[in-house]
Amino acid sequence: MEAEKDSSIKVDYISTTGVFKTPFTLILLVQLFIGGLALVLANLWFFNVLYYLLTGSQFYSLEPPGDWYYWLLVPLNIYGNIFLFSFTVILVSAGIYKFLNWRHPPQEGVFERGSKEWKYMHRRYWTAYFPIWLARAIPLPWADIVCYRFFGVRIGKNVVAYEGYIDPEFVEIGDFTMTSLHICIFSHLIYHDKVIIKKVSIGKNCIIGPQTIISPGTVMEEGAILGANSYTWLGQRLSTYLIHVGTPVSMSFPIQTLDESREKVEKRKKTVVLDDENLDDKKKEGGGNE
Amino acid sequence: MFQPASLKGDSPTPIDERVRNKYLILYLIIILLSFIPCSLFEYWYLITFWNESFYWLFFLLLPLNIFFLIYILQLSALLFSVLILNIINLIHRPREGFFKRDINDKDYLYWNLRNTIKKWPLYLAASNPFPWLKNRFMLRFFGVKIGSRCMCDNGWISSEFVSIGKNVIIGMGSTIISFGIEQDNFILKEIIVKENAAIGAKSVLLPGTIMKQNSKLSAHSYTNYDDVLEKDSIYMGHPAKLKKD
Repeated sequence: MEAEKDSSIKVDYISTTGVFKTPFTLILLVQLFIGGLALVLANLWFFNVLYYLLTGSQFYSLEPPGDWYYWLLVPLNIYGNIFLFSFTVILVSAGIYKFLNWRHPPQEGVFERGSKEWKYMHRRYWTAYFPIWLARAIPLPWADIVCYRFFGVRIGKNVVAYEGYIDPEFVEIGDFTMTSLHICIFSHLIYHDKVIIKKVSIGKNCIIGPQTIISPGTVMEEGAILGANSYTWLGQRLSTYLIHVGTPVSMSFPIQTLDESREKVEKRKKTVVLDDENLDDKKKEGGGNE
Repeated sequence: MFQPASLKGDSPTPIDERVRNKYLILYLIIILLSFIPCSLFEYWYLITFWNESFYWLFFLLLPLNIFFLIYILQLSALLFSVLILNIINLIHRPREGFFKRDINDKDYLYWNLRNTIKKWPLYLAASNPFPWLKNRFMLRFFGVKIGSRCMCDNGWISSEFVSIGKNVIIGMGSTIISFGIEQDNFILKEIIVKENAAIGAKSVLLPGTIMKQNSKLSAHSYTNYDDVLEKDSIYMGHPAKLKKD
């Protein structure tokens, strides 16, 4: 029933998504501590070995103690620790996220500022904030996609989604979709003193151009293309295998095959050549007259 | 919020190459000085916790150590840059107006110098993983007033000649620039955003824009030089025009 109500939402302008700072933001420190604890437990043995090599004594006695070639493991240890820390934080905060969803399942709709839904939305966002930051900071290109999957964004295989804002819930992206630089995919919208939550679904084989905004409720069907520098209005539907352009999207063009575009280029060349010849003739005529 | 590292939204502080090459030492000095409190803090941490009875505490508090290290670096960078900035402002006060884009023009030269000094602390604040003491706190020391309960960590906000009221929402990747470069001219003009205004995602405010109370700028639009957005109204387009229903 609620979904039917949502489809009739009308807005005067598209604002933005984002969250305010709340006391729940301190969850970041909890995540940091849990990650640190995992690091300590994983490194107890290695630190013990290094301490033995440096001083000759041990924290706790181990047999056999380390040898000189254990120093060669130091670079591996540093890199391993970076990944260990990030992935423990990601896993733990995914657990916290699941717990929050169990306490209060997320819903689509329009909610007042200060309502329970607003509160829980902020909590979910702040739990997802630090792991996604980490996933985008570590040198693995697929880490952020894996991280988004943990937080309920359904991302298919072979998706390009590295360089843009994507909200961590109510988003669905199909296989082989490409997104370019500096895109915004919003499933939340702050509108006056309300927040609008609506699902965004992007189909297979879509292409999203640079500098675009996808507003909540947008449905991109299979193979739809959103042109550069354009944005979609609330609840817009972009139909299959067409190029959509406009601020907000108002025009759509068919996709040309390679042969069609070649033919067009050849035609244009011919006309240009003809125009040039005509121009030359005119110049000659003009010169003669003078 | 969930932006990649390339779009972290640090304050726009471009520097003319001719000025940068001259005053690079100043930039390096600030970086060096800001690391001194960090090393002092680490020294203290090592001495107090690296004891035979406290090894476990040393390792347990490492996350907190890194947390404080990040903030000590940021705050010390801020301290030294503000100190140097105040000295430079005594020599030449920053003022708004139309100038020439030429290093012989004193205003343009000193604007570049100010940017050189601000760059390091603002960069640190933007690349900080934690959401505390970011834009609102940092920009206050450079003369930008940002009101309480503002959402201002997702956009690029200029570090001078900007004043933002209470409850303002600044969208993802939106830009507020109080300087403009038009061919050979250089323009500095104040941007005023009053209470309850909202700036949509990816919109741009050019120098001299005044947003009055409760005015809304839609996403993906920009304002012209010296535009005035009236109160309780909605603006959108390229450049932004009043939306009538």
